[in-house]
Amino acid sequence: MAISIQIETVTRAFGPVRAVDDVSLEIRAGEFFTLLGSSGCGKSTLLKLIGGFDAPTGGRIAFDGRDMAGIPANRRPVNTVFQSLGLFPHMTVAENVGYGLRLKGLRGAALSARIDSALEMVELGGFGPRDVNLLSGGQRQRVALARALVMEPGILLLDEPLTGLDERLRQQMRDEFGRLHKRTGATFILVTHNQDEALSLSDRMAVMHRGRLEQIDAPARFFEAPANAFVARFVGIDTLLTHQGVIREGDATHALIAGEKVPVRIGGPAEPAESVVALRPDRLLLHPHSEIELKNALALRLKVVETRYRGLHHDVTLAFADGQRVVVSLEADQPVPAPGDLVSVGLKPGGAMLISNAGLPAAA
Amino acid sequence: MNRSLLPALGLAALPLLAILALGFVPLMVVVVWSFWSWDPVTYWIRPDMSLAAYVAILDAGRWTVILSTLAKALVTALLCLLIGWPTAYAVHFLAGRRLSLVLLALMTIPFFTSYLIRSFSWRLVLGRTGVINTLLIEAGLIAKPLDWLLFSDFAVVIGLVASYLPFATFPLILSMRRVDPVTMQAARDLGAGFWTMLRTVLVPLTFPGLFAGFLFVFVMVAGSSTEVQMLGGAGASIVTVMINDVMRVANYPLAFAISTVVLVVIFGLVLAGNARFGLARLFGEGGA
Ligand SMILES: Nc1ncnc2c1ncn2[C@@H]1O[C@H](COP(=O)(O)OP(=O)(O)OP(=O)(O)O)[C@@H](O)[C@H]1O
Ligand SMILES: [Mg+2]
Repeated sequence: MAISIQIETVTRAFGPVRAVDDVSLEIRAGEFFTLLGSSGCGKSTLLKLIGGFDAPTGGRIAFDGRDMAGIPANRRPVNTVFQSLGLFPHMTVAENVGYGLRLKGLRGAALSARIDSALEMVELGGFGPRDVNLLSGGQRQRVALARALVMEPGILLLDEPLTGLDERLRQQMRDEFGRLHKRTGATFILVTHNQDEALSLSDRMAVMHRGRLEQIDAPARFFEAPANAFVARFVGIDTLLTHQGVIREGDATHALIAGEKVPVRIGGPAEPAESVVALRPDRLLLHPHSEIELKNALALRLKVVETRYRGLHHDVTLAFADGQRVVVSLEADQPVPAPGDLVSVGLKPGGAMLISNAGLPAAA
Repeated sequence: MNRSLLPALGLAALPLLAILALGFVPLMVVVVWSFWSWDPVTYWIRPDMSLAAYVAILDAGRWTVILSTLAKALVTALLCLLIGWPTAYAVHFLAGRRLSLVLLALMTIPFFTSYLIRSFSWRLVLGRTGVINTLLIEAGLIAKPLDWLLFSDFAVVIGLVASYLPFATFPLILSMRRVDPVTMQAARDLGAGFWTMLRTVLVPLTFPGLFAGFLFVFVMVAGSSTEVQMLGGAGASIVTVMINDVMRVANYPLAFAISTVVLVVIFGLVLAGNARFGLARLFGEGGA
């Protein structure tokens, strides 16, 4: 009983602030969709619009094509795990979890069976009679999760349900989300600013920035073709280089960076004048200076600025002739070049991408 | 005794003494003196262990005054909660920041004038030629003025509610401030309509405020006199007025006995309410 969600040019303005700005998005029935974005970018606001706790100032939200305008939260087939949980402090764990089912008229043995199995699912079996105010943060989070899951909703909204949990519990709950998603078949929308969660769980994800969706794609696409500089930075592609021009020769495209011709893949419809070159750290190979003779056409000649020992590897900071820097990691057992050395850096296919510079601070 | 407790105890000693001296001691004196007997020779009281004063309460319809006082206090307190709760809801949840400040200020306006003036002004509203009767007659709804509007229990309760409503509203606002609005959203999320959400979440979470408001109004009414004197019918009385009358003839043990009875009722209410609703939760952080 999964439900699809259509979000069409939705805006939510608080006075002059557009917390959600002209967002269009189609979430498929049964999809695990993740909204990723930094604090204050409008993720919770968008969830509230879907849940029916707030109304858009513009645009339309529909479930399975049915317009949801004017349908209050309690009549939507949605359940939410709120960012601040909102557990009922005057009820026990079991009463919290059973709240929604009681409203549906469930009583007695049938009710307690459902409550127990929901508590089992979040590993809180036997916690039913406890006072919710006396639970640990992680336990409270799981009560909130059980309270929503027990309703078997068509759409489950999860607003940063894992923040504040310790790492072990976090991984455990993350895997549990994956299992629950398969088991319930419901449409899941997860809000997070943790990339790990987003990447490992989602069918598709969106990166949000200042109320807008910068990119909506399968997780891998964010690394293969980030929509712009903001998205690249957000997913950890930190090396963004300005170039002096783009040269097209047949199929191949090169960007000129401080005299080096860097082969680039075109990420999107970026105007050359408003583009930057994003370097993927995992596709850069550092060779000691002696191997420069390999005359690899894809090699860049860079100068070592500094090296830093990081345990399992070295971080080597390299500079182009114009001073732009890139950090490459080198296996710990490799000889470490000295500052000032000229080295050659091999570029695997797709290692450099020409992307829009949107979202880059003006100073960079 | 734990050593580290000592400085804290020292710090707490003075206020504790003040509370004892200002609150508890007079109350104990009242209770103790209620068992003394009145000496008509000296016109003063002397130590005794007599229940005469309590027996005297049974005379001359004094019991009925006590009962009707408690009844008025109960009705007034309940009415104040009934009006105060939606008011507090409007102030806290519906009004914007500025409007809620204005509303709060409006609520304190009754305190700008004395109880006497305020009660008297109700005469102008409820009297035979008052605002209400005039309007009703002009509208053709009644032929002659309604008599029961003024100098009646009805008028007294109206006056009491008007006087003490803020004592119910403010603790309710305070208790609503302590409610996490996300719990209300969660209730809606789980399928509760607005009224169900109120009944199952917001009202239970404001129990401490409801109880505090009830208690404040109840106590204020039990100690009031102006409203009954200004608005009550012939022979209407209330504990405070009765105590005044008794004191005037210097029958102190009787006055103290009446006070003790009221005191015991209020004290019982506090204990029962605190056990059930936890008055401390209105102010403290300890487990919402
Ligand atoms: N009720 C409101 N009134 C005014 N502004 C609001 C309101 N709710 C949210 N905002 C603003 O909208 C923006 C987005 O807020 P939102 O809570 O959606 O952020 P978020 O992405 O969930 O952040 P976080 O990751 O910190 O939870 C913020 O700038 C916030 O100040
Ligand atoms: Mg948020």
